[in-house]
Amino acid sequence: MSDREAEQTRPDLTIVSEETPPPSQANDALVLGSAIIAALAGVGFAVGLALRTSITVYGTALAIGLLALGFGIRRYFSDLFPDIEAVEPRHPEQQATEEPVSAIAPLQRRSLLRNALIGASGVFGLSLLSPVPSLGPAPGDALRTTDWRRGTRLVTTDGEPIRADNVASGGVATVWPEGSINNEISAVILVRVGDTEFKDPTNFDWVVNNELVAYSKVCTHAGCPVGLFRETDNALFCPCHQSTFDAVRGAIPTFGPTARALPQLPLGTDAEGFLIALGDFTEQVGPAYG
Amino acid sequence: MTPLFGKLFDQLDARLHVRADTRKSANKVFPSNWSFLLGEVALFSLVILVLTGIFLTFFYRPNVEAVTYTGSNPVFAGRTLPAAFESIVRLSSDINGGLLFRRLHRGASHLFIATIVLHMLRILLTGAFRKPRELNYFVGIGLLTLAFGAGFTGYSLPYDSLAGTGIRIAYSELLSLPLIGDRVAFWIFGGAFPTGDVIPRFFVLHVMLLPAALIGTVGLHLFMVYRQKHTQFPRVGVDGHQLVLGKPLWPLQFAESTTLFLWTGGLLAAAAVLIPWSDVALLGPYVPGEVGNNAQPDWFLFWLEGALRIFPPIEFGIPGTLIISGPFVAGVVLPGLIFTFLAFYPFLEKWLYKLEGEWHVLQNPLEIPLRAGVMLGVFSALLLLSAAATNDILSRMLGIPIEVMTWFFRITVIVAPIVLGLGIARYARRRLNRRQRHVPSTETEAQQRYIAA
Repeated sequence: MSDREAEQTRPDLTIVSEETPPPSQANDALVLGSAIIAALAGVGFAVGLALRTSITVYGTALAIGLLALGFGIRRYFSDLFPDIEAVEPRHPEQQATEEPVSAIAPLQRRSLLRNALIGASGVFGLSLLSPVPSLGPAPGDALRTTDWRRGTRLVTTDGEPIRADNVASGGVATVWPEGSINNEISAVILVRVGDTEFKDPTNFDWVVNNELVAYSKVCTHAGCPVGLFRETDNALFCPCHQSTFDAVRGAIPTFGPTARALPQLPLGTDAEGFLIALGDFTEQVGPAYG
Repeated sequence: MTPLFGKLFDQLDARLHVRADTRKSANKVFPSNWSFLLGEVALFSLVILVLTGIFLTFFYRPNVEAVTYTGSNPVFAGRTLPAAFESIVRLSSDINGGLLFRRLHRGASHLFIATIVLHMLRILLTGAFRKPRELNYFVGIGLLTLAFGAGFTGYSLPYDSLAGTGIRIAYSELLSLPLIGDRVAFWIFGGAFPTGDVIPRFFVLHVMLLPAALIGTVGLHLFMVYRQKHTQFPRVGVDGHQLVLGKPLWPLQFAESTTLFLWTGGLLAAAAVLIPWSDVALLGPYVPGEVGNNAQPDWFLFWLEGALRIFPPIEFGIPGTLIISGPFVAGVVLPGLIFTFLAFYPFLEKWLYKLEGEWHVLQNPLEIPLRAGVMLGVFSALLLLSAAATNDILSRMLGIPIEVMTWFFRITVIVAPIVLGLGIARYARRRLNRRQRHVPSTETEAQQRYIAA
């Protein structure tokens, strides 16, 4: 087909360049080969799934099938049509019009009434936000109090109460108020430091046997569990954003993005020698809130 | 056109009169360049996400009540797990093909966001955001935000250990909003973390609200591209200001896009075989009070995570009422500023260089010193912040104390982008001076210069 004829059959397509691929048996073979591979892969995918083989088998079949099908279609089209570059105008002639959008003009100006309706719509629209508070309870005391009370025993995640002499030296344990296991905001990390003196601002009244101290486990930065303990310098460490606290100095932050110490749990023992809380935390637990 | 298809089309045309419009669309010209296909790959990823997501929805259980897993996975057999996590284990280990669908979905989500980000980078570097496309650029930024939302909610749904930690940090971010933080957090979560409401709510967001918004916004995005026609790179002999040069939709662009779609699916399937995306068995279910090392979000939130890690410890105000805290500045203010700045950058450029008229031909960013400087500055800062999200891993790998690592990032994340941005802007300015040029203020002027060169 000559260029002139092409122009005649495509009056609405302005062709800039046109390349006709030479007929090629090699390309036919590629298309046919891809088709066969894609079909086989399709069968493989279905059979592989039906036989509950494994993702390696049917996943590979799916991958090969899709890739082969894509390749085949590409080669098929490349020989079926000429490679054409065409242009079209960016700004087809538009009927420029200065007419207003609407053909119907208002009979009179009523701006006061219009503004009253706009204002009313605004007020009414805002009032539709009023169901939003139903989405959740008012925070109330939920962020200020935990489940620790005077006399609450410390228990492990398995619910076992803990004796003061039953914590490994240089070790930490995650503990909960008895009856409130997994109550996130009440999580406490119990630390038994090695041969170290506690220093200010630790509350010494809440240190048991001169070696056991308990802090809120909820990081004061973004609320991750402060899960790691470095025995060399008695540092509590948050794995999320690397806030670091000094366990012998009232868990004040020594590095990282947090600005506040981990609150210290008022810690004591009951008559049977089990660890108990002497009351709730006296400082705010967890990250700052507005 | 095969005879059967032709006949069917005739019948359709007899009723709807679509021949002229169809022919017009078939002749629509698509400029061709590999970087124009990034957005297409994002679109195809979205299609794959929807298709695989429907399958996953049939099995996923959106709640955290404790249930006993009775399936074949040896790690969890007989264990009591949150229902959401249990259903993910069941999908991965007991539903035939379930793991393939999970991994395809996960892989497609990474590809979706990655190609959106690269597409955005292409738009920003070449100037495709200029008049008349500012509006569609805003729509694109909206799409990126929605994609982040879909990505984060999707990351949360399995309720594995990392997901729970990620949700906790998001909750803390909401709490950090001054004055209203506690209320907003309780509205979104339905109470104090970890309530039973967050997973069902994230589920509705992830499978209904966000996909509907994404699909609708993509439709708007494509409509505007169709309406405004494509930008293109300059080419000698073609007045790109007046003409679009490229391949017609039928058959050439159709073949290109079909291939691309199938190959996207094929590569994702190959990745599903080779990469154990989000292997929940390694992580275990979320348990309050526990988190492992290497606690990190998905890569596309690394920049936020990095900002949270290296931001200095500040917190002041009145506790319980008005607090300005590090997590608020680093996790809310900073991303807000970056997104707002990028969204309004087109107007900064227009104002500084007094640009006039419409722009359809793409530019080398070195031709516009402001753009070269701003883009290198902003994106190097984002990359450095992202790198800071791995400061614990880098510290362990390189044997450098975490404190030193953190201070390294605190300094470089400010200094390096300024030095790089000013450096490249200065280089671009000198390059223009050497060629005795200035930044053209109309596209006609730019075209004349190109033809002269």
